[in-house]
Amino acid sequence: MQVSPRWARTLLAAGIAAASATPCAAQAPGDDPPVAGTLLRWFTDSDHVSVRSLSGDWSWPMAHASDLTFHYNNERVQIPGISAPPGSQQAIDAITTASRPISGNAFQDFEKVRNEAQTEYERGPAALTYYVSSESDYLAQQLGGRWNRDFREQTLNLSLGTSWSWDDIQPVADDDTRTGPARKTTLHWNAVMTEVASPTLIVRYGAEYNLVNGLQHNPYRNVYAGGTNVPERHPESRQRRDAFVRMNQALPNRSSVKLAYRFYNDDWGVNSHELDSRLSQYVTRGLSARWEYRYYTQTAADFFRDDYASVNGIGGFLTGDYRLGPLSSHLFGGSLRMDLEAFASTREFLRRMTLWLDVERYFNSNNYSANVVETGVDFRLP
Amino acid sequence: MRSPTRLVLATLLLSLAACGCATVPVRPWQRERLVDPIVAFRAEAREDARKMKTFEAREGSTGGIGGAGGGCACK
Repeated sequence: MQVSPRWARTLLAAGIAAASATPCAAQAPGDDPPVAGTLLRWFTDSDHVSVRSLSGDWSWPMAHASDLTFHYNNERVQIPGISAPPGSQQAIDAITTASRPISGNAFQDFEKVRNEAQTEYERGPAALTYYVSSESDYLAQQLGGRWNRDFREQTLNLSLGTSWSWDDIQPVADDDTRTGPARKTTLHWNAVMTEVASPTLIVRYGAEYNLVNGLQHNPYRNVYAGGTNVPERHPESRQRRDAFVRMNQALPNRSSVKLAYRFYNDDWGVNSHELDSRLSQYVTRGLSARWEYRYYTQTAADFFRDDYASVNGIGGFLTGDYRLGPLSSHLFGGSLRMDLEAFASTREFLRRMTLWLDVERYFNSNNYSANVVETGVDFRLP
Repeated sequence: MRSPTRLVLATLLLSLAACGCATVPVRPWQRERLVDPIVAFRAEAREDARKMKTFEAREGSTGGIGGAGGGCACK
């Protein structure tokens, strides 16, 4: 199915208008207390790239059964000095898809800062969202809407969501960058159904569709083809879709198991499968532990090759992006969550806090590995 | 349409059909365990969103969490 940009904008406007106009009658939100949370996250990988994230989340119940939420994130990416020519694979890749352009001396650490903010207004069954993310060569903005409704005595919930995002890309000076200012747009639709299947089981099914248009390759990356280095070139349009099912089962002895499966497919030829499992257990009142394992595998894009015989690549497209090649990965994780209400029942300030710690180990078939440590605190406001 | 896509769509449709066959709805007072933070979807919504973004940066696919719905069924 092909959706033109004009149709895409029309569909998005219709979705957001429907979300905005829906009366707040289907349910009674705003029953949660106001919450403020902060998160500190460290990421390090086998290439010695490090990322420090500091984020905050606030949620306020408001009049007319509505809620306002705000999210902020400041991220500092540090890519170590390297001995690599401009455009080479190792010169540019980092987590958060931050890129390292090479201009002059590449032997010094490269640092990049990204700031993002998101606000959401939810009233009754409808919600509107605005998101903005800014870094030195990338500005992303997104406008979204969501509507949901309960059925069957509130045991079945249907949620429909849509968003439109537009990214402005301004590649910074690089020794061989030839890409000028560019733009990328994404139209997103999702339908999610959640069902209370039994007193101990919740099941969620969903399908998502993304239509991406514009610059989708890395402007700093080159590909070795036909005996020379040429800039990477991806198609300008990509249709991405996925379907997923997730099950949360409460178990005896204050524990639970969560299972999830996702299938993804796009018109570049990438198919992927993802399996995720989580086992949670209360150690004592207010303290819970969780173990996680995730397996992921994908096929390569149609135009992905280890070596290109010609500078024209495959059908005019070339990529040096390993994420478009065959790939499998594993993730192991463990976390602890402590609700201080159970430990400091007489101290009002402490009672409102929840602390958590999350440690993960990720590795994939490209000899890439990473460690992630997250720690955070959530505070329930009076 | 490729065969894996057919398989997934068939699985999804069967699941949807199966869930529609539930005869006795779970009553509100029977849902206490479902709102426990170690069971509810909502408790991990922010974490799932962060993780999806991280995986997008390392792998070639996206999605899997959908728009977080509201209502009693998924909080």
